[in-house]
Amino acid sequence: MPSKRHSYTRRMASFYLRGVVVGVVAGFISGLFGVGGGVIVVPGLVLWLGLDQRRASGTSMATIVVSASAAALLFSADRAVDWPAAWWLFVGAGAGAVIGARAITKVPEIWLTRAFATVMVLAAVRLLLP
Amino acid sequence: MTVALLIVVGLLAGTMAAALGVGGGIVFVPALVVLLDFTQHEAQGTSLVVIVPTAIIATVVHARHGRVDWRAALPVAVGGVCGALAGAALALQLDGELLRRLFAVLLIALAIRMLLRARRPNLDHASR
Repeated sequence: MPSKRHSYTRRMASFYLRGVVVGVVAGFISGLFGVGGGVIVVPGLVLWLGLDQRRASGTSMATIVVSASAAALLFSADRAVDWPAAWWLFVGAGAGAVIGARAITKVPEIWLTRAFATVMVLAAVRLLLP
Repeated sequence: MTVALLIVVGLLAGTMAAALGVGGGIVFVPALVVLLDFTQHEAQGTSLVVIVPTAIIATVVHARHGRVDWRAALPVAVGGVCGALAGAALALQLDGELLRRLFAVLLIALAIRMLLRARRPNLDHASR
Protein backbone atom coordinates (compact mmCIF):
# COMPACT_ATOMS: atom_id res chain seq x y z
CA MET A 1 0.00 0.00 0.00
CA PRO A 2 2.10 2.86 -1.25
CA SER A 3 -0.27 5.56 -0.03
CA LYS A 4 -0.12 4.27 3.51
CA ARG A 5 3.65 4.13 3.45
CA HIS A 6 3.67 7.62 2.01
CA SER A 7 1.60 9.00 4.87
CA TYR A 8 3.86 7.23 7.38
CA THR A 9 6.90 8.86 5.80
CA ARG A 10 5.21 12.23 5.98
CA ARG A 11 4.30 11.72 9.62
CA MET A 12 7.88 10.85 10.48
CA ALA A 13 9.23 13.81 8.51
CA SER A 14 6.83 16.08 10.38
CA PHE A 15 7.89 14.54 13.73
CA TYR A 16 11.58 15.12 13.00
CA LEU A 17 10.95 18.62 11.72
CA ARG A 18 9.06 19.57 14.88
CA GLY A 19 11.92 18.09 16.92
CA VAL A 20 14.46 20.23 15.07
CA VAL A 21 12.37 23.37 15.67
CA VAL A 22 12.12 22.64 19.41
CA GLY A 23 15.89 22.04 19.45
CA VAL A 24 16.76 25.26 17.64
CA VAL A 25 14.62 27.42 19.95
CA ALA A 26 15.83 25.68 23.14
CA GLY A 27 19.45 25.68 21.96
CA PHE A 28 19.28 29.39 21.20
CA ILE A 29 18.00 30.20 24.71
CA SER A 30 20.62 27.85 26.17
CA GLY A 31 23.54 29.43 24.29
CA LEU A 32 22.31 32.98 24.82
CA PHE A 33 21.72 32.70 28.58
CA GLY A 34 24.01 29.90 29.76
CA VAL A 35 21.14 27.67 30.92
CA GLY A 36 20.22 24.13 29.88
CA GLY A 37 17.10 24.93 27.92
CA GLY A 38 14.95 22.25 29.54
CA VAL A 39 12.33 24.90 30.15
CA ILE A 40 11.68 24.85 26.38
CA VAL A 41 12.56 21.23 25.52
CA VAL A 42 10.31 19.53 28.09
CA PRO A 43 7.05 21.31 27.18
CA GLY A 44 8.04 21.10 23.49
CA LEU A 45 8.43 17.32 23.68
CA VAL A 46 5.15 16.92 25.57
CA LEU A 47 2.91 19.31 23.67
CA TRP A 48 4.37 19.05 20.19
CA LEU A 49 5.98 15.61 19.91
CA GLY A 50 3.55 13.72 22.12
CA LEU A 51 5.96 12.35 24.72
CA ASP A 52 4.72 11.72 28.24
CA GLN A 53 6.16 13.88 31.00
CA ARG A 54 8.63 11.35 32.41
CA ARG A 55 10.15 10.50 29.05
CA ALA A 56 10.18 14.16 28.04
CA SER A 57 12.21 14.93 31.14
CA GLY A 58 14.74 12.15 30.48
CA THR A 59 14.93 12.89 26.76
CA SER A 60 15.53 16.61 27.37
CA MET A 61 18.61 15.74 29.45
CA ALA A 62 20.12 13.81 26.53
CA THR A 63 19.58 16.76 24.16
CA ILE A 64 21.00 19.24 26.69
CA VAL A 65 24.26 17.26 26.85
CA VAL A 66 24.81 17.95 23.15
CA SER A 67 23.52 21.53 22.88
CA ALA A 68 25.15 22.79 26.09
CA SER A 69 28.46 21.24 24.94
CA ALA A 70 28.30 23.21 21.70
CA ALA A 71 27.61 26.47 23.53
CA ALA A 72 30.26 25.71 26.18
CA LEU A 73 32.87 25.21 23.43
CA LEU A 74 32.29 28.72 22.08
CA PHE A 75 32.44 30.27 25.55
CA SER A 76 35.63 28.40 26.43
CA ALA A 77 37.23 29.42 23.12
CA ASP A 78 36.45 32.99 24.18
CA ARG A 79 38.07 32.30 27.59
CA ALA A 80 34.76 32.97 29.31
CA VAL A 81 34.94 29.87 31.54
CA ASP A 82 36.31 29.70 35.09
CA TRP A 83 37.29 26.01 35.21
CA PRO A 84 38.12 25.69 38.94
CA ALA A 85 34.80 27.39 39.80
CA ALA A 86 33.00 25.00 37.44
CA TRP A 87 34.56 22.03 39.23
CA TRP A 88 33.41 23.14 42.72
CA LEU A 89 29.92 23.96 41.47
CA PHE A 90 29.76 20.49 39.96
CA VAL A 91 30.84 18.90 43.27
CA GLY A 92 28.15 20.86 45.14
CA ALA A 93 25.45 20.13 42.56
CA GLY A 94 26.13 16.38 42.72
CA ALA A 95 25.86 16.40 46.49
CA GLY A 96 22.74 18.58 46.34
CA ALA A 97 20.98 16.26 43.93
CA VAL A 98 21.46 13.35 46.36
CA ILE A 99 21.41 14.82 49.87
CA GLY A 100 19.40 18.01 49.42
CA ALA A 101 16.61 16.38 47.46
CA ARG A 102 16.05 13.90 50.28
CA ALA A 103 16.22 16.43 53.09
CA ILE A 104 13.90 18.85 51.36
CA THR A 105 10.99 16.45 50.90
CA LYS A 106 9.90 17.54 54.39
CA VAL A 107 9.07 21.02 53.07
CA PRO A 108 5.78 21.40 51.13
CA GLU A 109 6.52 22.00 47.47
CA ILE A 110 4.35 25.10 47.24
CA TRP A 111 6.46 26.86 49.87
CA LEU A 112 9.65 25.73 48.21
CA THR A 113 8.40 27.15 44.93
CA ARG A 114 7.38 30.45 46.50
CA ALA A 115 10.69 30.80 48.34
CA PHE A 116 12.69 30.01 45.23
CA ALA A 117 10.62 32.32 43.00
CA THR A 118 11.16 35.14 45.53
CA VAL A 119 14.92 34.59 45.46
CA MET A 120 14.83 34.60 41.65
CA VAL A 121 12.99 37.94 41.58
CA LEU A 122 15.41 39.44 44.14
CA ALA A 123 18.36 38.22 42.07
CA ALA A 124 16.76 39.72 38.95
CA VAL A 125 16.36 43.09 40.69
CA ARG A 126 20.01 42.96 41.76
CA LEU A 127 21.05 42.18 38.17
CA LEU A 128 18.98 45.06 36.82
CA LEU A 129 20.74 47.57 39.11
CA PRO A 130 23.87 49.06 37.56
CA MET B 1 36.05 30.83 51.24
CA THR B 2 35.26 31.10 47.56
CA VAL B 3 35.40 27.32 47.26
CA ALA B 4 32.94 26.93 50.14
CA LEU B 5 30.58 29.45 48.53
CA LEU B 6 30.79 27.64 45.18
CA ILE B 7 29.98 24.31 46.79
CA VAL B 8 27.00 25.86 48.61
CA VAL B 9 25.70 27.39 45.36
CA GLY B 10 26.11 24.03 43.64
CA LEU B 11 24.38 22.30 46.53
CA LEU B 12 21.44 24.69 46.28
CA ALA B 13 21.24 24.27 42.50
CA GLY B 14 21.37 20.48 42.74
CA THR B 15 18.68 20.46 45.42
CA MET B 16 16.40 22.76 43.44
CA ALA B 17 16.92 20.79 40.25
CA ALA B 18 15.98 17.56 42.01
CA ALA B 19 13.10 19.00 44.05
CA LEU B 20 11.51 21.46 41.61
CA GLY B 21 12.85 20.42 38.22
CA VAL B 22 14.53 23.79 37.77
CA GLY B 23 17.75 23.51 35.81
CA GLY B 24 21.07 24.42 37.38
CA GLY B 25 21.82 27.30 35.04
CA ILE B 26 19.08 29.47 36.44
CA VAL B 27 20.81 29.20 39.84
CA PHE B 28 24.47 29.21 38.73
CA VAL B 29 24.44 32.33 36.56
CA PRO B 30 22.85 34.86 38.96
CA ALA B 31 24.72 33.37 41.94
CA LEU B 32 28.10 33.73 40.21
CA VAL B 33 27.34 37.31 39.16
CA VAL B 34 25.75 38.56 42.39
CA LEU B 35 27.75 36.64 45.02
CA LEU B 36 31.11 36.10 43.34
CA ASP B 37 31.45 39.14 41.06
CA PHE B 38 31.76 37.14 37.85
CA THR B 39 31.15 38.97 34.60
CA GLN B 40 27.88 37.92 32.94
CA HIS B 41 29.84 36.15 30.17
CA GLU B 42 32.08 34.21 32.58
CA ALA B 43 29.06 33.23 34.65
CA GLN B 44 27.24 31.88 31.59
CA GLY B 45 30.26 30.04 30.21
CA THR B 46 31.00 28.46 33.59
CA SER B 47 27.34 27.51 34.03
CA LEU B 48 27.31 25.74 30.64
CA VAL B 49 30.46 23.82 31.56
CA VAL B 50 28.80 22.55 34.77
CA ILE B 51 25.55 21.69 32.99
CA VAL B 52 27.24 19.24 30.58
CA PRO B 53 28.54 16.60 33.06
CA THR B 54 25.43 17.04 35.24
CA ALA B 55 23.19 16.35 32.24
CA ILE B 56 25.35 13.35 31.23
CA ILE B 57 24.80 11.76 34.65
CA ALA B 58 21.07 12.54 34.55
CA THR B 59 20.83 11.04 31.05
CA VAL B 60 22.50 7.80 32.15
CA VAL B 61 20.13 7.49 35.12
CA HIS B 62 17.05 8.23 32.98
CA ALA B 63 18.21 5.91 30.18
CA ARG B 64 18.62 3.02 32.62
CA HIS B 65 14.98 3.46 33.56
CA GLY B 66 13.98 3.59 29.91
CA ARG B 67 13.00 7.24 30.10
CA VAL B 68 14.98 8.50 27.11
CA ASP B 69 13.22 8.53 23.73
CA TRP B 70 16.27 8.45 21.44
CA ARG B 71 14.17 8.83 18.29
CA ALA B 72 12.87 12.17 19.60
CA ALA B 73 16.23 13.15 21.09
CA LEU B 74 18.02 12.99 17.73
CA PRO B 75 16.24 15.86 15.91
CA VAL B 76 16.07 18.00 19.07
CA ALA B 77 19.82 17.53 19.61
CA VAL B 78 20.61 18.38 15.98
CA GLY B 79 18.48 21.53 16.15
CA GLY B 80 19.86 22.20 19.62
CA VAL B 81 23.47 22.34 18.43
CA CYS B 82 22.58 24.85 15.69
CA GLY B 83 20.54 26.99 18.07
CA ALA B 84 23.14 26.80 20.82
CA LEU B 85 25.98 27.88 18.53
CA ALA B 86 23.91 30.82 17.26
CA GLY B 87 22.80 31.80 20.77
CA ALA B 88 26.32 31.55 22.20
CA ALA B 89 27.81 33.51 19.29
CA LEU B 90 25.22 36.24 19.84
CA ALA B 91 25.79 36.25 23.61
CA LEU B 92 29.55 36.67 23.10
CA GLN B 93 28.92 39.63 20.79
CA LEU B 94 26.56 41.38 23.21
CA ASP B 95 27.67 43.87 25.81
CA GLY B 96 27.88 42.24 29.27
CA GLU B 97 25.57 44.73 30.90
CA LEU B 98 22.86 44.30 28.26
CA LEU B 99 23.16 40.52 28.54
CA ARG B 100 22.85 40.78 32.32
CA ARG B 101 19.64 42.77 31.99
CA LEU B 102 18.19 40.36 29.46
CA PHE B 103 19.00 37.53 31.85
CA ALA B 104 17.15 39.39 34.63
CA VAL B 105 14.05 39.53 32.41
CA LEU B 106 14.35 35.78 31.80
CA LEU B 107 14.59 35.18 35.57
CA ILE B 108 11.43 37.19 36.26
CA ALA B 109 9.54 35.40 33.49
CA LEU B 110 10.58 32.00 34.86
CA ALA B 111 9.65 33.00 38.42
CA ILE B 112 6.14 33.99 37.26
CA ARG B 113 5.82 30.74 35.30
CA MET B 114 6.88 28.72 38.36
CA LEU B 115 4.33 30.44 40.59
CA LEU B 116 1.50 30.00 38.08
CA ARG B 117 2.38 26.37 37.56
CA ALA B 118 2.53 25.67 41.30
CA ARG B 119 -1.18 26.50 41.49
CA ARG B 120 -1.93 23.58 39.19
CA PRO B 121 -0.20 20.69 40.92
CA ASN B 122 -1.64 18.06 38.57
CA LEU B 123 0.44 19.49 35.74
CA ASP B 124 3.84 18.10 34.98
CA HIS B 125 5.58 19.18 38.15
CA ALA B 126 6.84 16.19 40.06
CA SER B 127 8.31 14.24 37.20
CA ARG B 128 10.44 17.08 35.94
